[in-house]
Amino acid sequence: MKRIFFALMVGWALVAVAQRVTVTEQSRLLPVEGPAYYPVLSHDGEQLLFTSESTQGLNLYDFGTRAVTRVSDEPGAGYGAVFGGDGSIYYVSQERRENKLIYRTGHRYDQATGRSAVVLEAQHGPMQPVAATRGGAMKSRARNYSSAKAVGTAVYTQGSEVIIDIAGRERRFSPVESWAGYLWASLSPDGQRVAFFAAEQGIIIIDLNGNVLARLGNYEMPCWYDDNYLVAQNTTDDGRQFTSSQILLLKADGTYKHELTRPTSMTMQPTAGGGKIVYTTIDGNLTLMKINIQQ
Amino acid sequence: MKRFYFFSLLLMALVMGMGVKAAAQDMPHIYINPGHGGHDSDDRNVVVPPFASGDTAGFWESNSNLWKGFALQEVLRKKGYTTSISRLANQTSNDLALSTIVALCNQSGADVFYSIHSNATGAGENYRINFPLGLYRGPDNQPIVPESDRLALELVKVLYQNQSTVWTSNYATRGDWSFYPQWNNQGLGVLRGNNAISMLDEGSFHDYIPETYRLINHDYDWVEGFNFSIGADNFFGYSETLPQGIITGNLRDERVMRTATYVMHGADARQPINGATVRLLDLYDNELATTTTDQLQNGIYLFKYLDPGQYKVEVSEPEHFTQTKIVEVTANAVTYCNFDLKKVRNTPPEVVSYSPVWNDGDDPVLCNTPVVINFNWDMDIPSTEAAFEISPAVEGSFTWEDTNYRLVFTPTDAYDVNTHYTVTVRASAEHAGGTAMEHDFTMGFTTQERNHMAVTALFPREDVAVHYKSPIIELRTDAQVNGLNVYDNFHVYDKNGNELGYNRRQLKCGNSTSPYGFVRLPMANDFNVGEKYRLYVERWVQDMDGIHLAEEIDHEFVAVDAGEAKAEQVIYDGEQVDGITTGGSNVNAKVTAVTTHLFGSKAMQLAYEFDAEDDEPVATASFAEPLEQQFTAGDTIMLHIDGDMSCNELLACFEAVDGDGDDFDLSLGDIDYHGWRFVKCPVENRGTFRLKGFAVKHHTQGYAKNMGLTGKLILDDVLWSEGEIFESGVSETTLAGVTVQPNPSSDYIVASAAGYIRGVELYGMNGQLVARNGANYINVTGIAAGTYVFKVYVNGLVSTHKVVVVH
Ligand SMILES: [Zn+2]
Repeated sequence: MKRIFFALMVGWALVAVAQRVTVTEQSRLLPVEGPAYYPVLSHDGEQLLFTSESTQGLNLYDFGTRAVTRVSDEPGAGYGAVFGGDGSIYYVSQERRENKLIYRTGHRYDQATGRSAVVLEAQHGPMQPVAATRGGAMKSRARNYSSAKAVGTAVYTQGSEVIIDIAGRERRFSPVESWAGYLWASLSPDGQRVAFFAAEQGIIIIDLNGNVLARLGNYEMPCWYDDNYLVAQNTTDDGRQFTSSQILLLKADGTYKHELTRPTSMTMQPTAGGGKIVYTTIDGNLTLMKINIQQ
Repeated sequence: MKRFYFFSLLLMALVMGMGVKAAAQDMPHIYINPGHGGHDSDDRNVVVPPFASGDTAGFWESNSNLWKGFALQEVLRKKGYTTSISRLANQTSNDLALSTIVALCNQSGADVFYSIHSNATGAGENYRINFPLGLYRGPDNQPIVPESDRLALELVKVLYQNQSTVWTSNYATRGDWSFYPQWNNQGLGVLRGNNAISMLDEGSFHDYIPETYRLINHDYDWVEGFNFSIGADNFFGYSETLPQGIITGNLRDERVMRTATYVMHGADARQPINGATVRLLDLYDNELATTTTDQLQNGIYLFKYLDPGQYKVEVSEPEHFTQTKIVEVTANAVTYCNFDLKKVRNTPPEVVSYSPVWNDGDDPVLCNTPVVINFNWDMDIPSTEAAFEISPAVEGSFTWEDTNYRLVFTPTDAYDVNTHYTVTVRASAEHAGGTAMEHDFTMGFTTQERNHMAVTALFPREDVAVHYKSPIIELRTDAQVNGLNVYDNFHVYDKNGNELGYNRRQLKCGNSTSPYGFVRLPMANDFNVGEKYRLYVERWVQDMDGIHLAEEIDHEFVAVDAGEAKAEQVIYDGEQVDGITTGGSNVNAKVTAVTTHLFGSKAMQLAYEFDAEDDEPVATASFAEPLEQQFTAGDTIMLHIDGDMSCNELLACFEAVDGDGDDFDLSLGDIDYHGWRFVKCPVENRGTFRLKGFAVKHHTQGYAKNMGLTGKLILDDVLWSEGEIFESGVSETTLAGVTVQPNPSSDYIVASAAGYIRGVELYGMNGQLVARNGANYINVTGIAAGTYVFKVYVNGLVSTHKVVVVH
């Protein structure tokens, strides 16, 4: 069954009318000083999180006011930070203690008050912020946190599982084999599908029941552009350093791929939201890109 | 009982360890990244026998990195650490993108990140080094993630303790931004954005071939993984995380050297022991474990997870004496125990084969034949060389081959000719184990009649004048010259001792079809007129059998301009050849006016090709009419000859005028030189003569026998001068440097000259030849007393001397 489905899809891809993708805008985000990494766009595309090369501290850029707000100065705060569906920002800071172990603390930043609050006490071991459609959560090995009793739908990965939490009901899926683990899970804007990355396999699209809908290829850091398209990173390396890096536009059904930047551009870490795409470069130049897709 | 003991120890260690480690969940989480993967283009393959390029069983960095990673994961788990590892297999799909590895590490919540690699010099194959290097993110001493430099240092310090390898320098730690300045602070991909205390380890150099072979060995990799765990313990300040230790080491022959051409440092130069059985025994000789070294030139063995205490390690291998050592194992530590094994040489040494093998009646051997003696064992060099005798005595040198199983004696110069030699290896010769031979060994051979290469012709000979333009050096020999090392053996120096270069593209050597052996070396540049030069030919010029010259050639010569203007009267200028006819016997000859000239714009060329079968081939060029100028005794004919080193004799042919005397041919000497030469020769015959033409005569015997079967004689301005006449009517033209003595003489008249004397002649005062010799003397004991003319042929010229014979 699966095999026939796959064959049908390929057949369809061959007869599909080619899309035409044009880049309508590509500009350096000038208000941002210094090298910037790990950009994250809000769903409406009006705000952008980013951090420094060492992921120390977290900054918030507002496209409307063109202002940059310092959300956190703490080490590690810039890695994996998310916008919650409630407009708050959820992030994890880390500290190394005397015993040389890393302790992580969960934070929620309230944009209305401009204040951060600790939502999960410092603990040794993994901890990750998780965006939910109506709020945010914090997942760790021992304890979890939710911004409200009902935060809508949240997706994230742990080990080789993708976890889909709908209205507090958590389901764990391992739809494809991946020894090293899953990463970078996100919910499509229409809330119907989940994109994630499986090491050794690449980008996988599943439905909310964990059924594989498409395999988009061995690319990294998938992020939904809209309900039909995702952006992703494609790198090559020589085992020590990157030898190429580019941003791709991928159709969620696996039928179409377009190079938004050249392999030699060393562009990486794409994010998308509200019709915008933001990526950075290996030396930390944040760039805003807008595209037009003609069916 | 034993099992119980083990568990109680473990429990004790855990209880004791807890004091340091607090709760189990607070043990560190270590993310392990075995570098590369997939045996593909971003992997590292070092090709060493027996593996072909690309063979995944050979050395691939992805393999050894993975084996180290496995070991590290296994040991860390035993120690209570939490671990994650980025791959457990070695397909291209397991070779994750660098940013994926970073994200996986960050998501795992790891405290420490180890990327496991090995290093390469990236230099030419003669430059190989080996030391552990730890890299962390950031500039030197300023890690982006604090403590990463400490993590790197604690690891490489432990790796450097490894005594199974050979280190060429101390361990090092560097910041990747400083170490890879060409990457513009981008650094190593697996450290970018990595939130753990993180490092990339280059444990050793996998392109140092002895290390390559070790890295193929899984036990060696396992020990490196174990050492990583100690590095982690030291970083976190833990001790005794494992109640057990390990024993590992390297087995090598104590003296047999490895036969390989790759770079080997220190003990790596000795032969590793393949296929040795290594037994682990308790002190009561109960066997606890046994293992075998592999066949891959590393000699590595390992015993894992041993309770602290004393053990015996016993190593045996059929070709070596069994060796046992007592070692102490301590908890959470590596006990290194290397063995230098003594080879079993359980029979006395004897000669198993030799050469030359020679029996009475066999053909004699070449006079440079090395004596080769193969023994059944590797021999002790001092006692064996001392036991070697050759009679009659010959100076020579010893070389040892095949890890001292083979002795080669080579005469420094050559054996004497037609001589029977006896070689004896006295019974006092010992093998490397110290046992002497039971009997003397004797062999013998007889040598050929030739032990050196003879020089048949040479240009320039000592003190000769060499035309400065486009000079050519040529050596002729009695056998073909091996051209391989010509430039090492031929040297021309200017007056200041600077060695001059050759026009290497124009170098010519004889080959198997050449009628004689030769090396012809045109100089790269012209000489300076009037300056002295030195020709130095080393005696190591050799023929195809390796027979070399008896002596070196070392003498001076002088550069001249043979084309200097002359005061004497030109009687033929070579500008045109109309009417000149060719003749002779058994020859094809042709005369043309050629542009190779000294004066005017042309010179006369007589090109000829002799029939090699003929006894007395001669080529002649005759003017339509003899030249006007008349010669009488004492006059001198002078001419300019462009020599081609044909070594044929050049004659001027004179015709008597109106019956006043007899026609005759005057020898102008052999053309045994290259380039222009000004030759003059007195006319001694009584009468009146005119120059009719020239003849080139081939030597059918003597030094020039096979030379000059084809040639080109080029002549420019021929001149005449009126000579002084002494009483007999024979002019005396004495060349500088040629002496003839004693004078008067009653037995021998001997000529000496700085150059090579080709022959001498004695003429009566009437011009009749009385005696001739191809050497430098004439025996006059049987010659009537009186006055004679003694001619010395030297350097292509004739020196004429008046001598008196008395009895
Ligand atoms: Zn490597």
